[in-house]
Amino acid sequence: MAEHGNISSTSDSHLAIQTFALTRKFDSLIAVNGIDLGIKQGELFSLLGPNGAGKTTSINMLCCLLKPTEGTAQIMGYDIIKEPFKVKETIGVSPQETAISERLNSWENLALIGEIHGMNSDEVKRRSGELLEVMGLMERGKDRVGKFSGGMKRRLSIAMALVHDPSILFLDEPTLGLDPQARKAIWAYFAQLKGKKTILLTTHYLEEADALSDRIAIVDEGKIVALGTAEELKNSICDKQTIVISAANLTTEVVEELRNLYPWVEWRNEELEISAKELNFKEITDYLYSQGVTIYSAALKQPTLDDVFIQITGKEIRE
Amino acid sequence: MRFWEIGKRNLKELYRDPVGLGFLLGMPLAFILIFSFAFGGQATNPVSIGVVDEDQSQISAAFVSCLESIPAIEIATPIFESQFDAEKELDTGGLSIYLVIPQGFNKAVEHHQAIDLALVYNQADPMLPQRVMPIVREAALGFLNIPIPLNIELSQREAEIKDEYINYLIPGMAVFGLMILITSVSGIMVRDRTRGFLSRLMTTPARPSDFIFGYTLPFIPVIIISTAIYLGVGILMGLSIIGNLGLAFLVLFITGICCMGIGMIVGTLARSEDQASGAPWIFIIPLVMISGAWWPVEQMPSVIKGIAEAFPFLHAMDACRHVITRGAGFATILPDLYWLIGWTVSLFVIGIVLFRRSMAS
Repeated sequence: MAEHGNISSTSDSHLAIQTFALTRKFDSLIAVNGIDLGIKQGELFSLLGPNGAGKTTSINMLCCLLKPTEGTAQIMGYDIIKEPFKVKETIGVSPQETAISERLNSWENLALIGEIHGMNSDEVKRRSGELLEVMGLMERGKDRVGKFSGGMKRRLSIAMALVHDPSILFLDEPTLGLDPQARKAIWAYFAQLKGKKTILLTTHYLEEADALSDRIAIVDEGKIVALGTAEELKNSICDKQTIVISAANLTTEVVEELRNLYPWVEWRNEELEISAKELNFKEITDYLYSQGVTIYSAALKQPTLDDVFIQITGKEIRE
Repeated sequence: MRFWEIGKRNLKELYRDPVGLGFLLGMPLAFILIFSFAFGGQATNPVSIGVVDEDQSQISAAFVSCLESIPAIEIATPIFESQFDAEKELDTGGLSIYLVIPQGFNKAVEHHQAIDLALVYNQADPMLPQRVMPIVREAALGFLNIPIPLNIELSQREAEIKDEYINYLIPGMAVFGLMILITSVSGIMVRDRTRGFLSRLMTTPARPSDFIFGYTLPFIPVIIISTAIYLGVGILMGLSIIGNLGLAFLVLFITGICCMGIGMIVGTLARSEDQASGAPWIFIIPLVMISGAWWPVEQMPSVIKGIAEAFPFLHAMDACRHVITRGAGFATILPDLYWLIGWTVSLFVIGIVLFRRSMAS
């Protein structure tokens, strides 16, 4: 398993978010079970897990919406239990529900959050203008948001988390329900923020976590079951390599010969799949050429986060 | 000034919901209009005047016949022989005003001497002599047809009046109207909570007091406007106000604040929008009924009356009615006001405690 988060009980000044055995119980249900985590400043960190894994409960505790039943956490050095208002000054939150004021327009929604954070109206206007542009909402900026599509509401909700330029962003399923095009645009914007802001996002979308995150924590049943970069996580389950070759003129003799050389060889529909602890790509293709086989394509098969997830938790992410 | 930002937003939410606002202001208005037309509407009817004929002469009888021929007034029958009987009618509400034709009326007419008439009216209806006096003067001058001095002496009488129904109804309806505020306050709070908007605001540095002021202040103009509408429409429909209008306004304003307190509690406790909009009616309607909005509590069993007296709304209606129809001053309504203010303060304290607790969890 990949490196684990900071599990010391003392605070580390390089860490933007640090949790200490963070726990939340609802009666007999343990939603979050003693999570120790350290997220560095400027890091984009994803919590990946199925519904009910404890992702939102964790975020709600870190945003001071929910008190932990045990343990605590620090946001930029401020304790979430003892100094909630200090914490709230440094964070921006996009909750899972779009949570916007339906009878206000986009400008007014953004101004509300900005002004609560003490920005003056000129700053709010400038910043709102930038964000509405980025989120593609400028044209409908003066329409009441109750009339917006789900995707537009979601984009406004993200803008509301950003309007006061917080140093830490909590994004709970930020691209849920967006069409692929809008999702890509939002990802591109998050990618721009990388390094400038600390971002903790929860997501169902494996490709989102894979494409964006500096590090990923896989959460299941209230616990972090794996943590590392996407590569580290994939490598952690990778006890074998697989090559997939699309070929013609392949004979039974050649396949049998390969079966003698490698522990796992599959051949069907002109596709050859070879797995072993270590594979030499060139050695295999050279051998096939020498036997008169025509190779259309050959590629090493990469494990996906889905494979990681299934291997670690024994279930599909979208369960 | 975070509360101001939250308040501004809530004000916009409130005023941009025409259906909700229309319901809030329009329902009591519809009630006032329906009840007023059904039971009130005295303004266009002829004024009923009692006549005391102390003179008992042919000339005085002719004067009465002359009065009877005027369409704008209606002479009550029978014609009284003494003021004693007329006073009794006034005291029991059978009459609001009567004219006294004094002894020696016929001689004064015959000898072209100065004539003294008297109008006695119920002090609860100060507008009445102003309507009646010119009619009587015109009639007398026309009847005499000679230039002799005519004095009409005005005197008011404090009477145990039986109110016009409209005077009874308007304060009751105004309090009922303000009680609808409970569902508006709780509605916006619950809507914001169930749709996650309150949670979002709670991730900002806004303090609990910002939320409390932000969610209540926008309703202050609603209270002021609706109170003005109820009293204004009441006056148009024939409500006669003899007390201090400002004091009546104050009573209703405090009632509105009290309802806002209940709204906060309901808004904090209700789990869904349906609960917030439906549940309050379970206590609003019975309380309005037993508090005497539509009929006097005196006719109710003492247990029911006792329950109504424990709540603030009967006191609000009573205080308002005393000011409006009896001209009661601040000191007279103070016991009712204490009750009302006591409730208001307690409800707000409970509301704030519950709200803070819900925020903390």
